[in-house]
Amino acid sequence: MGTDILSFIIFLPAFVAFVLMISTTKVEDVRNIAFITTIIILVLVLKTYLGYEPNSEMQFVTNVPWILNYGINYYIGVDGFSLTILMMIAILIPTSYLLLWDGRTKGYWINMLMVQTGVTGALLSLDIILFYFFWEVMLLPVFLMIGNFGTGNKIFTTIKVTVYTMFGSLMMFVAILYLGVAHFEEFGTWSFQYSDLTQITIFSYQEKFWLFLGFLTAFAIKIPLFPFHTWIMDTYKNAPTGAVFLLSSIMAKLGIYAVVRFMIPLFPDIYIQFSSWFVFIGLFGLIYFGIAALMQDDIKRMFAYSSASHLSFIAAGIFSLNEYGIIGALYLVIAHAIATGALFLLIGVLYDQTGIKTIKDLGGIAKQAPIFTFIFAIMLFANIGLPGTNGFVAELLIIFGVFEFNQVMGYIAAITVLVSASFMLWMFQRAILQKKEGPALKMRDLKVKEILGLAPWVILVFLMGVYPEPFIDKFEPSVAHYLTDILKLGAAK
Amino acid sequence: MTSLLGYATVSMILFSIGAIGVISRRNIFVIYMSIELMLNAINLFLVTFARYHLNMDGHVISMIVVAIAAAEAAIFLSVIILLFRSKGKLDTDIFTELKQEVE
Amino acid sequence: MHTPYLVLIILAPLLGALLNGGLYLYHIKRKAIPEIIFALIGTITPFIAFIFTLLLFFELKDTGTTFHQTLFTWLNINGLNIEMKFLGDKLAIFMAMFVTFVGWLIHIYAVGYMKKDEGFGKFFAYFNLFLASMLILVLADNPIIMFIGWEGVGVCSYLLISFYYTESQNVMAGNKAFIVNRVGDLGFILGVVTLFFALGKTGLDFTSMQENIGVATTGTLALAGVLLFIGAMGKSAQVPLYVWLPDAMAGPTPISALIHAATMVTAGVYMVARFHFLYTGIEEIGLFIAYIGAISALFAAIIATRQTDIKKILAYSTMSQLGYMFIAVGLGFYSSGLFHVFTHAFFKAMLFMGAGAVILALHHEQNIFKMAKHRVYQPIVKATFLIGVIAIAGIPPFSGFFSKDAILAAAFQKEEFLLYGIGIFTAFLTAFYMFRLYFIVFVAPNGHDVHYASTDKTISFPLLVLAIGAIFAGFLNFPAVFAGEHQVDTWLAQLQSATLTLSHSTEYILMAASVAVAALGILVAYIKYAKFNLEVPETEEGIIGNKFYIDELYHLLFVKSLKKISTFFDKVVDEKIVDGMVMTVSREFVDFGKKLAFLQNGNVRFYALYMLIGMSCAFLYLYTTLIGQ
Repeated sequence: MGTDILSFIIFLPAFVAFVLMISTTKVEDVRNIAFITTIIILVLVLKTYLGYEPNSEMQFVTNVPWILNYGINYYIGVDGFSLTILMMIAILIPTSYLLLWDGRTKGYWINMLMVQTGVTGALLSLDIILFYFFWEVMLLPVFLMIGNFGTGNKIFTTIKVTVYTMFGSLMMFVAILYLGVAHFEEFGTWSFQYSDLTQITIFSYQEKFWLFLGFLTAFAIKIPLFPFHTWIMDTYKNAPTGAVFLLSSIMAKLGIYAVVRFMIPLFPDIYIQFSSWFVFIGLFGLIYFGIAALMQDDIKRMFAYSSASHLSFIAAGIFSLNEYGIIGALYLVIAHAIATGALFLLIGVLYDQTGIKTIKDLGGIAKQAPIFTFIFAIMLFANIGLPGTNGFVAELLIIFGVFEFNQVMGYIAAITVLVSASFMLWMFQRAILQKKEGPALKMRDLKVKEILGLAPWVILVFLMGVYPEPFIDKFEPSVAHYLTDILKLGAAK
Repeated sequence: MTSLLGYATVSMILFSIGAIGVISRRNIFVIYMSIELMLNAINLFLVTFARYHLNMDGHVISMIVVAIAAAEAAIFLSVIILLFRSKGKLDTDIFTELKQEVE
Repeated sequence: MHTPYLVLIILAPLLGALLNGGLYLYHIKRKAIPEIIFALIGTITPFIAFIFTLLLFFELKDTGTTFHQTLFTWLNINGLNIEMKFLGDKLAIFMAMFVTFVGWLIHIYAVGYMKKDEGFGKFFAYFNLFLASMLILVLADNPIIMFIGWEGVGVCSYLLISFYYTESQNVMAGNKAFIVNRVGDLGFILGVVTLFFALGKTGLDFTSMQENIGVATTGTLALAGVLLFIGAMGKSAQVPLYVWLPDAMAGPTPISALIHAATMVTAGVYMVARFHFLYTGIEEIGLFIAYIGAISALFAAIIATRQTDIKKILAYSTMSQLGYMFIAVGLGFYSSGLFHVFTHAFFKAMLFMGAGAVILALHHEQNIFKMAKHRVYQPIVKATFLIGVIAIAGIPPFSGFFSKDAILAAAFQKEEFLLYGIGIFTAFLTAFYMFRLYFIVFVAPNGHDVHYASTDKTISFPLLVLAIGAIFAGFLNFPAVFAGEHQVDTWLAQLQSATLTLSHSTEYILMAASVAVAALGILVAYIKYAKFNLEVPETEEGIIGNKFYIDELYHLLFVKSLKKISTFFDKVVDEKIVDGMVMTVSREFVDFGKKLAFLQNGNVRFYALYMLIGMSCAFLYLYTTLIGQ
């Protein structure tokens, strides 16, 4: 089982989804089986996590030819980066099920399972065509979820987000094919393994630049980076809670991951050359989205902007070219997934109970639902980056990282301290704390299973905030090794 | 034989007339007649070259074409009757069910 | 010297907080728990912390070696090595001593004050958490851990100010406090980061920074110094980041006493003292700090003369006294500044608690003129309040005199006569407005008989203890002028504070001047207010009464404009421009498709035409390529 564990982790949800799809069982059974599947995945991932050694190599690798003629292999494996994100996903998904428990239909759960397969597969792929395959697989269930279970202008929204994302994917695909052909021309064999593709040397500067842009389009749309972000406004507002959670907590992170895994190693010189631009875009996004979030009245839209703000900050960290920034970015990936994911799920519960989405109609939740408020407040402060939570460690490291990269930008980066605090606290005051008569009174407090679902997240927030070293240890060697490689490659080219 | 050019020219002219007739006329019968005209023009063309090259190939193909024309006539005329029954007119411009409605 | 006890000082209140928090959740969800349980947990844990601090104090006194305690490595990446480590040197223990002691007393007071409040358990959970955070701040070994405590007290301040959260005023005050604090924190973090890189990444704990300080250039150090001080500005409510402090009075009085008088606001002063090795090299920055302190002191004192809410008067008074502390530390007289922190903690906490007692007795009335009209007589409260007012005015032999006078003498010695002038004038104002407060609330005749009221023991006990401190604490730093041993200065010798070297005669004259000025202030207040006509109360009008319109200015400059920018970003840039581009692209495609759709008009003849054209082109192509053969 040893090295096949990853394949199992990837395909189990899809397999279960197919089985459930063709058997006409009741919603509760579908949901329960799906939930158990995610728990099994969690156990397997945990096993992998504990069995991983913190060095800088790929582990648990499987490399099997798939489409022989074009050198496309089924090549998967983990290293420090992907393992950490994998662990995060494995923990987040089962607990999210607990918060989405009631009132969904069979299709909802099947789509959730399929997304898990897509995301895990994309995360673990080391062959670029395989990665692209899973990247697309990831999109389709979300398309279905938003279109079927969303609110408001759902059809338009789902088509917009899917087409927009696919446009980016198309650019990336063209670049991928170009790379494959180049590899063939240079080495005489077809291969799409990224370790091989990084060896290509025959590109002119022009070609590299355009290829880089091709990849970048796909990821910039997903993350999102300004100005490719406008899909999030409608999507987050109209999508069902589960889809929003998946998009924000998990799939956006895949964009970041893909930048790190594929885009940067393939074009290290372009990366180094344009890193100032990207740090700038990241910081710009941080501030711009943070300010735009202030006057939002729809809660989910406000969180969409908040999410985009943090993700831009993560991107700034990645592009800062040093260990502090990259480790900080990865840490923020996890911290953000937990905090924002929890907030979205809690808002989902709020919406289910009261039917309200706008801040001005909410209020008085704190009195009705103290435990809800308590957990909401914790996640809110984690989002703001309060010391003692993992958000702080992450933001601190990114500030250090950007500062080392460029002192002025470092000063701008520190503004993150203010950004989230302003709109979050104001929202908290109006939506949760203030007294108000009206539909908010229908709110019930969290049920036991919801509390149990969120408990691991709360624990993680504080554990990662108070004792970050063991978490960072797992992936620091990978990052250090990665960075030296990139800088070496970049200098050589 | 210089009249080869003449026969070919006549054949081409007849073909052109037939083609233009198919495109520009609205009455189905006229379209049908134009199609027949095109077929016959090609027959003429084939026979001319067969005669020129003293070869039987042209004649053989010509016979096949005639046979096909006959079969086509049968089907075409049945379809015309069905079309007439469905719409009551023989104007091809009114048969536009496959058109996409533009909102 | 390694010791396992430092962390216990922090853990005790932290555990108290967790326990009370958990019990409170149980209390509201399942079964009610009697108040006494929360009260016991809430007051015993600070006491335990105090005991531990006391033990360490005595050991430190005897052996003189600093305590260290490393718990674990917090973060270690490429030279950035931060450990969860605590430092128990004389400065830290000094701070911890009065923080735990005064904190403990205020916790006892809170038991009486918050009686019957439905959030009783929650209050003590937050209160204990605050104390734990403050102790983390004070005992930290490096600025990052200190920042954890720094923000921790900020969050607790937010939670406690917004304690009565159903009223939006209170939550807005809490938000304001948190956000203005955060502006300061921005400076603090930048200062730390600048310092780290300026010192060549050699380590962030205070001891190694002190050793390596020579590595950095003066310019960078000055920058770091200013940035760090911005953090202090926010935390200690100095100009221009002070606007949160008066609003913070929306919280229950015990927190005003603890957080906004004795502990959190002094964190800024402590921080400057902690970074003394940085500030001694950059005298211009120190002078800047001193001036900010002076301006804040004066500004606050002026505003306080026209305020009518008792707690707001005390809040501005705190800001003013904090200004004095910064004058001292800015000029390099670190121990004098800290000594004022120490004495101020005693009398200010007592003043707030006394004010709280009166507020409670008068059913939460806070306007001093209305309080005067319905006055009830509580002898202990009145007496301790008088002691507090005398102390803050700087009348010997109460403690305020010694600490304030040392600061004024420092300014004089450094020949910063402007600072001295501001300080002396503010002292006059301080005496004036504090006695105004006293006379109105406790003395001015209101035409009624005297109503007596009893005072809860939980309220009177802390007041009495603190009164002793307010009276006698001055003797702990008895100046050499009176042949004293100035123990506090000696204790804090590590800070290498500047020392007073004025001649004794100069000092006597200065002291006389301070006393005279204070006496003058009291006299003016007496004349004006001791027999005040309560039927015509003062109102908050005019420029001074409206606090120089600073709050309104800030609101306009920052809040309103930010909201406008936000709406601009959202509605104009995002929706119209960026998304506009995206939608235009899609619309163009759709339109193009519609145009092409015209070709598919369902008409057979057109299709025949297309076929003809297509075939002709194909044949033409074939012909031209074949012709070559």
